[in-house]
Amino acid sequence: MAQDKPVKINKWDGSAVKNAIDDAIKEILTKKYNYLENYALMDGRLTICGIAVGVAMFALLWDYLYPFPQSRPILIFCVSTYFIMMGILTLYTTYKEKGIFLIAIQKDSSKKDNIWEASSYLKKYDDKYNLILSYRDGKSGTTREASIKKSVANFIDVNGNVVTEIVEAEVSKLHNSLLSERKEK
Amino acid sequence: MDVGALFDDVRRMNKRQFLYQVLSFGMIVSSALMIWKGLMVVTGSESPIVVVLSGSMEPAFHRGDLLFLTNYPEEPVRVGEIVVFKVEGRDIPIVHRVLKLHEKDNSTVKFLTKGDNNSVDDRGLYAPGQLWLTKNDVVGRARGFLPYVGMVTILMNEYPKFKYAVLACLGFYVLVHRE
Repeated sequence: MAQDKPVKINKWDGSAVKNAIDDAIKEILTKKYNYLENYALMDGRLTICGIAVGVAMFALLWDYLYPFPQSRPILIFCVSTYFIMMGILTLYTTYKEKGIFLIAIQKDSSKKDNIWEASSYLKKYDDKYNLILSYRDGKSGTTREASIKKSVANFIDVNGNVVTEIVEAEVSKLHNSLLSERKEK
Repeated sequence: MDVGALFDDVRRMNKRQFLYQVLSFGMIVSSALMIWKGLMVVTGSESPIVVVLSGSMEPAFHRGDLLFLTNYPEEPVRVGEIVVFKVEGRDIPIVHRVLKLHEKDNSTVKFLTKGDNNSVDDRGLYAPGQLWLTKNDVVGRARGFLPYVGMVTILMNEYPKFKYAVLACLGFYVLVHRE
């Protein structure tokens, strides 16, 4: 996903702004530090959605082949499965994902990988972007977190372009503070 | 809303994000489908919501009203009730009132219907040679209604291009807009 020209978005759209800043942070952590992105969380979400849509399509097909009164038990099964899947998806997004948009693996020479997790949230009509970067040490298993809370106006210029240099500076600050904490301990 | 900017968003998505967009679209369609099928199961009718298409039941129902139907097998059809039925060979549902009813001991029924606003009964509408309706022809019994709401459906059926245009725009917007 090479980005030569700056990313331009609608600066008044809260979700577009959050997604643009998240993407910029993803670029930095993967390109600059060469960490490997772990897709497990996203894959989980895709599987749940895939199952739900699959169940719905199956119900559609079955009802088409065997008109209503005969298809009743299958329909009951499919409808309840679908709504249960929706419930599971909501629980998954709220409790397991929790705003995490990137899980990156930092390969260590000693075979135990360190895991970086980046999560963010931006309230509905608020301009304060919260970024939480957490670092889990592969060897000791401890987790450390650092967060910043800044207005999105710091990262996006007046035309709606994401200023990657400023994002990079902030991320590097957090990243190095987490790494140096580890060395002190 | 700059349409070019929307395409930029799509180009910037990686494969997983694009798959998620497609699945989101699929989930919206599936949710509507599952709610409809769920209603079918709960009411026992193959078409739990119908739109009144003609003025043959005025002043009770007007063209464009939305009707809610149920079709429970334990509740027998009775004279004076409003039923929605389909004549064999035609799939337009007709909403009329039951006029006469014959019932055998083993509860097979045959009945005759007529629209309140019509001057003759429905024998002219039935299939050739058919003089009575049976339980099989019934889609459901009217239980409740919402006035005027069904006009949108009538409009969309009379101007199919309008329907496709609306659906295409909605589908495109969902596919392209991120979370």
